[in-house]
Amino acid sequence: MSQSKGITITESKIPIFAIALLAVIFVLGVFVVGFDQGHIFSIVLGEQAYEDLYIHELTHDMRHAAGFPCH
Amino acid sequence: MKTIIFLTIVLVSGALAGTLHGVANLAIVEPYLDQAIGIENQNLFASGEEEDTPQFWVEYDAYRDWQKGGQVLAGAILGTSIGALFGIVYAFSRHVLPQGNDLKKTITLAGIMWLTLFFIPFLKYPANPPTVGDAETVVLRAVLYLSFIAISGLGAVAFYQLSKKIKSKSKIISVVGYGIFIAIVFALMPPNPDEVNAPLDLVNGFRAMSVVAVSVFWVSVAVILGGLWHKFRPDSQIHSQNDM
Ligand SMILES: [Zn+2]
Repeated sequence: MSQSKGITITESKIPIFAIALLAVIFVLGVFVVGFDQGHIFSIVLGEQAYEDLYIHELTHDMRHAAGFPCH
Repeated sequence: MKTIIFLTIVLVSGALAGTLHGVANLAIVEPYLDQAIGIENQNLFASGEEEDTPQFWVEYDAYRDWQKGGQVLAGAILGTSIGALFGIVYAFSRHVLPQGNDLKKTITLAGIMWLTLFFIPFLKYPANPPTVGDAETVVLRAVLYLSFIAISGLGAVAFYQLSKKIKSKSKIISVVGYGIFIAIVFALMPPNPDEVNAPLDLVNGFRAMSVVAVSVFWVSVAVILGGLWHKFRPDSQIHSQNDM
């Protein structure tokens, strides 16, 4: 009945929301650094983004250094 | 669990460790990248696609400076994302990692993840400097590399679960099981289809420094997350017990 708390509630549950958010960050970040070939900027820039390869060029050296397949 | 604190320390530790990874690359990996791209430039001059003019080098240097800066930014992004995965796995595995403080736990987990998600996949599909990869095979290479990492990571989790199911006290069963499993996968997966035509010194030096720099990331993320977890205790259950 009583909702009063005299002791610290033990909340060892792992928050699903936080895990889901981290999972999204994980996938997006790996995609941007490792695999984007204009996909993300094409949302705003259209076909031009596949020519510019801005993100590819920007993250290029890390792509090689971290072991992702490149040129 | 204190969600905001948990998210903050996970993302901060990943971003910081990733930035350190980027800085380490600047110091030890970029010289090899410059050398490899230098070979590409010579090929461009030889084929007549570009001319060896002062103008070319001005543009090239400006472009490379921008790219090296981008590399550190990319380190922060990649670090945040790998750090996010590390945080997820740590949250779920913290209670089964070796007894001791959080630093000991994070370092143990980082060691396992470094081995299964980076080093063993690296032995199968090692990093290559520019000029080695064939643009035609990049999708195939990406699929092979990601598949191997996923199989290795999920395999490690599966063998851990298995050893728990059969109530084995020792972790030897999961280690040996995973070892045999990954050796078979290693042998069965097709090799990188590209031929390495670049000078061997360049390729080997690049690979060695690449491993060192990635290892800098894993050590950093473990130390920073372990330290922050110890200080901020996002797991409030531990908080109430230890602070009494
Ligand atoms: Zn490349």
